[in-house]
Amino acid sequence: MIEVSGLRKTYGDFAAVVDSDFAVDDGEVFGIVGPNGAGKTTTLKVIAGLVEPTDGEVTVAGFDASDPEMRRHLGFLPEESPLYEEMTALSYLRFFADLYDVPREVADERIEAALDRLELDHRERRLGDVSKGMKRKVAIARSLVNDPDVLVYDEPASGLDPVTTNSVLAFTRELRETGKTVVFSAHNLYHVESVCDRVVVMNEGRIVARGSVDGIRERHGETTYRVFTDVEPTATPALADLDAATAEVGDRYRTTVPDMDAVAAVREAVADAGGEVVDIRSREPSLEDVFLDIVGRPMPGRYTGDIGGGEGSDSARDGDETATAAATEATE
Amino acid sequence: MTDRLRRLGRRLAVAARRVLRVAKWESARASGGVDRKTLAAGVALLLVAGGVVGVGVATGVAGLDVDRDVYRVGVDPDSPYADAIEAEPSLRPVSAGRASLGDSADAVVVTVVRPGSGGGGAIDSADVESVVVRATDTQKGEAAAASVREAVEAHNERLMRAEPNRTAAFPVTVTLRYVGRTTGFDEGATLGGDGGRTGDSGGSAGDDSQASDADGSTADGGTDGGTADGIGSVGGDGGTDDDGGFAVPSVGGAAFGADTVGSPGAITPPFPFTSLLLAFVFLVPMNFLIQAYGSSVLDERTNRRGEPLLVTPLSPAEIVAGKTLPYAAAAAVVTTLIALAVGGGALSVVAVAPVAATFLGATFVGAMFARSFKELTFVTVGVSVLLTTYAFVPAIFTNVTPVALVSPLTLVVFDLQGEAVSAGEVLFSTAPMAVGAALLFGLGLGVYREEDMFSQKPVTRKFLDALAVRLSPVPAGGALLDRGRLRALGAVAFLTACTIPFVFVAELLAVAVLFALPVTVSVPVLLVTIAFVEEVAKSVGLYAGFERGVFERTGGAATGDGDRGLRLALAVGVASGTGFFLAEKATAVVQAVGLTDLFLGRAAFADVAGLSGLPPVALAALFFAPLVLHAVTTGVASVGASRGRTAYALALTLATLGHAAYNVGVVSLG
Repeated sequence: MIEVSGLRKTYGDFAAVVDSDFAVDDGEVFGIVGPNGAGKTTTLKVIAGLVEPTDGEVTVAGFDASDPEMRRHLGFLPEESPLYEEMTALSYLRFFADLYDVPREVADERIEAALDRLELDHRERRLGDVSKGMKRKVAIARSLVNDPDVLVYDEPASGLDPVTTNSVLAFTRELRETGKTVVFSAHNLYHVESVCDRVVVMNEGRIVARGSVDGIRERHGETTYRVFTDVEPTATPALADLDAATAEVGDRYRTTVPDMDAVAAVREAVADAGGEVVDIRSREPSLEDVFLDIVGRPMPGRYTGDIGGGEGSDSARDGDETATAAATEATE
Repeated sequence: MTDRLRRLGRRLAVAARRVLRVAKWESARASGGVDRKTLAAGVALLLVAGGVVGVGVATGVAGLDVDRDVYRVGVDPDSPYADAIEAEPSLRPVSAGRASLGDSADAVVVTVVRPGSGGGGAIDSADVESVVVRATDTQKGEAAAASVREAVEAHNERLMRAEPNRTAAFPVTVTLRYVGRTTGFDEGATLGGDGGRTGDSGGSAGDDSQASDADGSTADGGTDGGTADGIGSVGGDGGTDDDGGFAVPSVGGAAFGADTVGSPGAITPPFPFTSLLLAFVFLVPMNFLIQAYGSSVLDERTNRRGEPLLVTPLSPAEIVAGKTLPYAAAAAVVTTLIALAVGGGALSVVAVAPVAATFLGATFVGAMFARSFKELTFVTVGVSVLLTTYAFVPAIFTNVTPVALVSPLTLVVFDLQGEAVSAGEVLFSTAPMAVGAALLFGLGLGVYREEDMFSQKPVTRKFLDALAVRLSPVPAGGALLDRGRLRALGAVAFLTACTIPFVFVAELLAVAVLFALPVTVSVPVLLVTIAFVEEVAKSVGLYAGFERGVFERTGGAATGDGDRGLRLALAVGVASGTGFFLAEKATAVVQAVGLTDLFLGRAAFADVAGLSGLPPVALAALFFAPLVLHAVTTGVASVGASRGRTAYALALTLATLGHAAYNVGVVSLG
């Protein structure tokens, strides 16, 4: 559905995007991840036909991105949602439907459906008088008035409260079920993990990793094991070779090791010290760990808020830290 | 062919539909932006204000005499002077018998008689020796005495006008002939042509003698010797003289309500006050319109509000046209209503249309360049002041000089005066502004794209961006007449050609501003000013091209070597000069109204038309001399532009001096 080939965009001497290549399949939710200034927004704007590439080719739904006809197949949600504040939600959406030549009856049906799904009330209130979350929802509804095949969403949940964030992310997942192709950028990695099938990681204008979320995690992150004991393990030669780190956590000791063989070595060392293993937990790497591994620095703008439960729990963002029955069994 | 036309028709229909849609929503938005109560209150306030003024004018209340009954004047009620004092609002007659100077009167009219000359001691007219005004020895007394004198003069004037025998009342005929200053340059050539030959000579023996006073500032006259049946006249019929200059109209004109009959002391300059005032009324609504329009355009740019519009299938031109249409329509409606109200016709509407378009075009560009509403305020105020000045000031000289036609408002004044104008004059007056407005919209459209709309660049950088976006890189290598290279150089020539209306307007404005100065001063200043304006017009686009990287800078990595960079700079310079030369020939419209008959007009728009006695080769050489000039000077400026800002400034100065020297040569030849 989308082909990006050799994309390069420069502003004077500054290269915003360098030699970018990727393709997005029909019905796929595709993520572009990276810190601020990585080139995500520029890439999305080139796809949307808003910015002319310095070099390279971009096609969307079979049209060149600069072809005005392409825009009939595209819905775009920019990072900000400044609307015409003197208009009501309904008149604003009808205005855009009008510009896409959507007949009034069809437009009203689409608008009603989108606003219902997004749980947007106060449709006759002036947009200057509604909350930021409602404005965002109106902007999302606007991206759908022409029933596009491709949706380009730039940071759709940025700056929203947890409830609205969940609502927007859930809506994005539903779009995939209706066959829409979605390109989605975020610097909040949880949003990408929870929505996208595949991602590219961008840094300083370049794509530095690509693939499925799980695939990238496998390539750039490692599962670690945390062994909790009631005594500090004896510094056996085997444990010293592992370079295992032990920390006191409350009335327990936590030793982090890379694999199950090391877990066995810890168990022996604890036994030497007259104690025993209390718990063993595995920890999957998060995309943030992956990002740290790829670019050598932490991800800026790390999510720290409460997203209201559901699929977005803190443990999930920090890397699942779950008891592993098999591992526990192995120590017994 | 038919299919192509059909496709074109369909495309235009789609574009028109889109424009109308945006216009419809823009109207809804604009009306939604103003609180209805506020709008209603504003309209009500205007109606009340208009009603008060209207009623005041209708009932004469507006003409209140604030100085009524200021001076008390003692006068005998039976005295012939009593009527004169009674008619003057500032004077309050007090019976001479009761008047006490300094106490109950500021002045007293005293009739001096020869004592005892009348029969039975009575005073009759033969006894009157003189009439004097005695006033208190104060400033108020002096003012009262002066007012009495003026009141008597006005009274006498009225009596003379009421006299059935006009020749007896006005035995002198004065024929006015306005002349310009005499200078060493043109031996009396005038800025307004030779001045209008005016006036019916009135009296049958009127000899129409010529004014020859050295200062030539006002009237001189001949006398008709007072033949019995001649009717004296002051001023003329406003016709056009044989030399193509503008005739001086009736002194005072109908606008002042002055008569063609009166005292020489009542002669007033040919200043069409009322028509000008009414013409100015056309400009007033523009100032409100551009505030609303500029805000709407900038609102699209603030916080990226208009970004979603750019993702719709509409082109930037369709969006801008749609956004502008409601304001243009409002301007058209208001202009038509004003024309109907003040007695103007279609000519007034046609004349004001390009002014309105320029107001909107300049505001659009300003709103596209401004970074904030604060900057927009400066822009709109600047546009208001500049365009109002440009439109209004030249129109003051409507009846004096053809330079006034620089402003379309002059056509409005003509229209209100009921004077006919030629199609050439209409074209001369309106075309520069109309084309200029179109080009202003084109300039603004250049930055109506995501990359420029939402950036916070300074106005100067935005301006350069808007120019550079119309250029394309000149390919290196290949054949000399490579299609890509020709296209790129053609774009340069076209961009420069587009500056002609602005150059033309700037030069006309310079002529209008400078024509009041002595020619010995104005001509040299004008020649340098014109050279500078033209050199800037030809090279600023090139500077933008080099500055924005469309053209490789001399010595840049991509150019490989300095020679190639130099060749590129010269090539674009020559292309720009050629474009300017070709477009300059379009100013031949100047000939249509005879502006080059003026000495200053020749200086500004010099050509070789007056050299018809020369052989064809020489004429051809002279015809193409401007091409050589423009190519050379622009080449110099271009080389400077390719080397940076300082080098550009120096090269521009050099090119200006060279150009000015050329202008001096042409004026000397002419």
